[in-house]
Order: sequence, then structure tokens, then C-alpha cells
Amino acid sequence: MSKPEKFIEDGIRLDGRKFDELRPIKFEVGVLNRADGSCYLEMGGNKVVAAVYGPREVHPRHMQKSTTAIVRYKYNMASFSVEDRKRPGPDRRSSEVSKVSRQALEPVIFVEKYPRSAIDIFVEVLQADAGTRAAGINAASVALADAGIPMKSLVSACAVGKVDDTLVLDLNKDEDNYGQADMPVAVTQNGNITLLQMDGHLTSDEFKIGLEMAKKGCADIYQMQKAALMAKFSKSAEAESNE
Amino acid sequence: MSNEIMSELRKDYIYNLAIKEERVDGRGFKDYRELVIETGIINKAEGSARVRLGKTEVVVGVKIQPGTPFPDTPDKGVIITSLELIPLASPEFESGPPREDAIELARVVDRGIRESGSIDLSKLCVEAGEKVWMVFIDVHVLDDGGNIMDAASLGAIAALLTAKLPAERYGLGTDADLPMRDVPVAVTAALIGGAIVLDPSIEEEAVAGTRMTVISNQEGALSGMQKSGTAPLTTEQMNYIVDIAIEKAKEIREKFLEI
Amino acid sequence: MDKKIVIPGDFLSDDVKNATDGTYVEDGKVFAAVYGLASLKNQIRVVPLSGKYIPKRGDMVIATVSEVTFSNWITDIRSPYDGLLHISEFPKRIENDDMAKHINVGESVMALIKDVDPIMKVELTLNDRRLRRIDEGRIIQVAPSKVPRLIGRNGSMITLLKNNTNCNVFVGQNGRIWITGKERDMDFAEKIIFKIENESHVSGLTERINRFIKEEKGESAREPEYEQEPEIEEEDIETDKTVEKTEDIPVEEETQEEDAPEGILDELLGDGK
Repeated sequence: MSKPEKFIEDGIRLDGRKFDELRPIKFEVGVLNRADGSCYLEMGGNKVVAAVYGPREVHPRHMQKSTTAIVRYKYNMASFSVEDRKRPGPDRRSSEVSKVSRQALEPVIFVEKYPRSAIDIFVEVLQADAGTRAAGINAASVALADAGIPMKSLVSACAVGKVDDTLVLDLNKDEDNYGQADMPVAVTQNGNITLLQMDGHLTSDEFKIGLEMAKKGCADIYQMQKAALMAKFSKSAEAESNE
Repeated sequence: MSNEIMSELRKDYIYNLAIKEERVDGRGFKDYRELVIETGIINKAEGSARVRLGKTEVVVGVKIQPGTPFPDTPDKGVIITSLELIPLASPEFESGPPREDAIELARVVDRGIRESGSIDLSKLCVEAGEKVWMVFIDVHVLDDGGNIMDAASLGAIAALLTAKLPAERYGLGTDADLPMRDVPVAVTAALIGGAIVLDPSIEEEAVAGTRMTVISNQEGALSGMQKSGTAPLTTEQMNYIVDIAIEKAKEIREKFLEI
Repeated sequence: MDKKIVIPGDFLSDDVKNATDGTYVEDGKVFAAVYGLASLKNQIRVVPLSGKYIPKRGDMVIATVSEVTFSNWITDIRSPYDGLLHISEFPKRIENDDMAKHINVGESVMALIKDVDPIMKVELTLNDRRLRRIDEGRIIQVAPSKVPRLIGRNGSMITLLKNNTNCNVFVGQNGRIWITGKERDMDFAEKIIFKIENESHVSGLTERINRFIKEEKGESAREPEYEQEPEIEEEDIETDKTVEKTEDIPVEEETQEEDAPEGILDELLGDGK
């Protein structure tokens, strides 16, 4: 793929979306048996699975905190998730993504409820298509709720970026690769920002407008997260009353 | 089961059931759990499959790209199989580089594919000594409900059967199917007390003294075997396992993997 | 129904004074802290649909020994925290060297949570006549969040289960369940328990289970019966031969909860009421 000449024509992006439109999103809750909570998410071409284990005992012991739980987040890309095979195992990028994602979720978790324990979050990217960290946070937040972890609210995330000098929501692969800016944002239900990264070029006005766009996108994603959790409950209830 | 120790009472229960020719989930000794194979699920991979075997789930991706051949096989393609037991899949798995269990699984999956000659490696030569196709088989375990071995092997072969050589992408002609010649199928048996059961669940694995994997090809000949675990097997048990494994492999191949 | 499904962050009420389990208060409002069923009448609380067992003083649990140290049995209680059973909490005086002879790794006990300190050090005791090592029958596991439904209002579900299966059933608060009885009866009890677990959030549960039992009984009456008495190995644990006869345990009763009424322990232990 090389850089497209134009990213936006007549107000429509190359994949047919409007500038403030999210890609198709599908959540599924409770997809794994072994994990305490889990969620599968397709967001555009991204396919991610999040699992939560805990609260559970902390190994190694010296990581324990005597008055709160520790939160750990491990983001990992499957070697077949990208065009050119990725070597298995952690790298500098996944370490950074893990750290900022953990800090995006930590502020909503009532860690003081579980002293000396660990809440482990694992995110596996099975197919990557721009915006994997946002997808990971969205899935992880639902998996935390599914695991019964007490939280202030869910966390929702999406990116805003700039192509053809225009702000666009939820970048696709080409917009991400060849665009002028990329800014992933995560917010709590009441709009507090728990993750913000940016690279590229934005004016301060563009930043402010972009942030509002991202927050609007997150609010839409929040509704889908909520609907997915509700669906898990009613699905099982229905299946049983129809038997 | 989470990462808690299994109570002796539970172990005894499973043993005692085996004596009565019963299993916890009501299966017969030779029954597999429900098996679902989907292919083409990862579009970034040249071939892919998701296998659900009871409560076990694996995703296998096949990536194919040009590379340099090994000096001793300058005119043959290369197969590289990796498997990770990531901590997402079980409370017992830990982060970090693959340990011996994961490496053993990857090597046995690899052995079946390689030794059955399922891929015609001589057709993967682009330029002898210089450039051949490298086939990377990556197994991603998502949920460990027992018998990862068979799920991984089935996923690998299913992904290969649907894989394409991405020749156009590398300016090496037109895309084509992988040159597949055989469909090896792994069947794993577990020894519980004196009983031999196929497709052990996670609880059965926990009480099994040993596991025996038998990989057989389309002709019903053996392509690879692996005994894993400390309990010895008698010759009679071994022969019996080989017989039922070949029979079961045929059944699975016909039902799920016909090209 | 006065219950509704909520997720963390959902607004529940302005009635801050009555906010209890599964909720949090911010800016004078009550919100849900967990994914679960909210009940708003009288006390405001959310019963989680999932989650680990978090030990509380006074809970009866089934603990499985994972390690025997010089003076403690370290046990797994299906929680983030080990349960510690000190040698002095064994019903009689024993030597440190003999601890493993009395309860070894992999063996399970019915135990009472004697104390939980602020950093979640959990102390167990066997110092009650009803507590004992578990040597027979089966232990099965359900999600700890389903335990209240399994017990039922005033122990009604458990009574239903016992009366219809001829099994003795003890439900640990940590979601481990001990069943004793004839093999075939235990199979039946297990089946019912998993049915309750799976349908715990459907309304009219008791009625459904009643119907299920009737249907199943109609079928199974034709099946041959195993006659297999469980071996009862009488150890020197000072306890009644069975758990039938019980007295009140001298522990503080918890504040009465809707789904976990007082007197549960007696019901669970089958005092033949």
C-alpha cells in the first residue's frame, strides 16, 4: 500500500465513513472459560481478546502492596496479526502500550478493596488494523466488569487523527500510516481523561476540537460496551426460559 | 478449575469413574469433545484457523514469506512452528519465553506436519540456495480446557490447507495454494489408572499419569508420536493406543479436514 | 421485579445513607460499583454476577490444604488469600510433627473463618464440633456469587435439594459444596446444583427446580440403583459421626441479608428441622 493521493473526497473517507464516524464495532462478553472475565472485540479490522484474572495472589511476592491490589496489564500481538510476521514476545512498543493502558484503567478500579492481591489483565491482538491499544482498553474494561471487579465506571477509548488537514475519528490503517497526526484517548464514563497520547502535528485548536471528537466517539463506544454486558445477561436468561 | 490445587477427593472421583468405564462429562473413553474448526479468520495471515475442542480454544495463523534456505536443504522451503502458552489462556501459564511444555507442544505439532510430508517443501523453492518460501505456523492458545496438543495440531493443518502463497506481494508470480500432499491428524490418549481415554479434559490431564500422542497420515501410517508424562505404558496399552488413534484420526479427517 | 441489571458507574439513587455492598458514593449520589443485580428497596446494593470469594469472619468454607508448615496448614479457599489453620485451632492437642498425619496436602476440611484482619490475613478454625475433615462423598464447585441462590431464602433451596436426593449437602460460602450419599443420589444432587447455578438469575427459580426434580425423578426411577455405601473412615478428630446434630456456633451473626438469612448454618448442616 502506498500513500493515497486524497484521504477525503466530498466529505467521505476512503472507507466510506464520515469524518466523525467510528468503524463497525462488535463486543462479545464472557468468551473464555478459564479467565475470571473476558471480552472479544472487533473494531474495524482489529480483533482482540481481553482476559482478566483476579483478584488473585501476587507472584512474585515482593510486588505485593499491603493496602491495595496491584493492577497488571499485558498487551501482546500475535505474530500473525500484522502483514509482516512479528517475532513473538514482548518488545519496546508493547511494553509502552501495556503501561499506558494499565494507567488508563487503574484509576477506575477500587484497588483498596483487595489488599495484597493482583488484578491481571491480558490483551491479545489477533488481527491488527490501527488503533489496537484503544481496542484493547475497550475490551479490557468490559472484561474487568465481567470478572466482577468493583469499578467506578467503564473506560472507553478511541483515536482521533488528522488527514488532508482534516480531523477524523478512529483512524484506519492508511490514515494511521500516512496521516498527519494520531491521538488515542481513553475516558471514564463522566469524561475524565485516563489516556492521551499524540504523535504528528496538530495546532492547539485542532487538539481541542479533536479531543471533543474523541470523547464523543468514546461515549458511543461506552453505550456499546454497556449493551454488550446487558446482552450477556439477557442472553443467558432467555436461553433458559425458552428451553 | 482455577489455579487451586485439586482436592484428593476429586482425583479419587475421577479415578473411580474410570474404573467403572465412565468419565466426568459423560463421554465414552474414545469420544472427543465437541469439535469446531473455522478457517480464514485472520485476514493478515496467509492461512488461519480457530479450533474449539470442548472448552479448549486455539487460534493458528500461518505467515508465509520469502527467506534464505538452510545450507543443508538449499532447494527446500522452511517450516517454523511456534507455540506460546500465554497467561491469558490459563491461570497456570506465566509470562515469559516458552518453557519446556510449550516447546514440546510446538515440536510435536511441527513433527506431524513435517514428517508426514504434508507440505511439498521442494515446491517452495524460488531460487536454490538463495530464496525459498518460509512457512511460519504460530499457535496461539486462548483457553486451556485440556488437550491443547490435538487442538493445536488440528488448527495447524486446517490453517495450512487454506493458506495461500503470497507470491504477488513479493513480485514472485501469482498467488497459489500451498502445495499440500497429506493431512496428518494428532490423537492424544491419557492413562488414568489403568484406563485409556481419548481427548483428555483439563481435569483428566491433572490426574493422568501419562499422555500419548499419535499422529497418523492419510494412509493410516504413523508420522509422529510423543509420550508425555511419567507413568509407564505396557506394550499392550501402547499397541492399543496406536490402533484407536489411527482409527480416530481417520474419523476426524473425514469429518473435518477433507481438502 | 424490583431488581435490575446494572454495570459499574450506573446511577442508583440519591439516598446516600442506605448505600451498601456493591455501590459507591460520589458527589452525594449512589452508583453501582459492580456488574450485577441492583436492589433499591430499603438498602441499596448490587449483588455481583461474578467475582472471587472474599473471606469474611464467620463464614463457613471448604478449605483444601496446599502446604503444611511447622505450625500452620496453609489452605486454598478459592480466594486471593490463603486460609491459615494454626495447629492450636485443631480440635485436640497434636504434635507439630504429626500435622500432616491429621490433614495432609490435597485433603479438605469444613472450616470456620475465625478472623480476617485489615490486610486480609485469614485465620481458620476447626474448633467446633460440626467442623471436620472431609473424607467421603464429593466436593463440587460453583461460582461463589451463586451461593446465596443455592441456599435460597431461609435455606429453602438447600432443603429442597436434600429432601429430594437423600444426600447431605453442605454449601461453603466460598462456593465449594460437599455432598454425601449414595453414588446415584450424588449424581442427581450434582445435576440439580449445576442447574441452579446456571439459572440462578432467572425468576421463579425454586419452581423451575421443583419441576426439574419431578421430571428427572420420573425418568431415573427406572434406572438400576447402585448400592454403594461410602466408606467412613473414622479419624480421631473429635466430632460427631455425622454432621446431622448441631449446635449453634458461637459466632456473631451477620447483619441479616435478604438472600443469606440467619440460621443458614443449621440448615446447611442438616439439623433435621
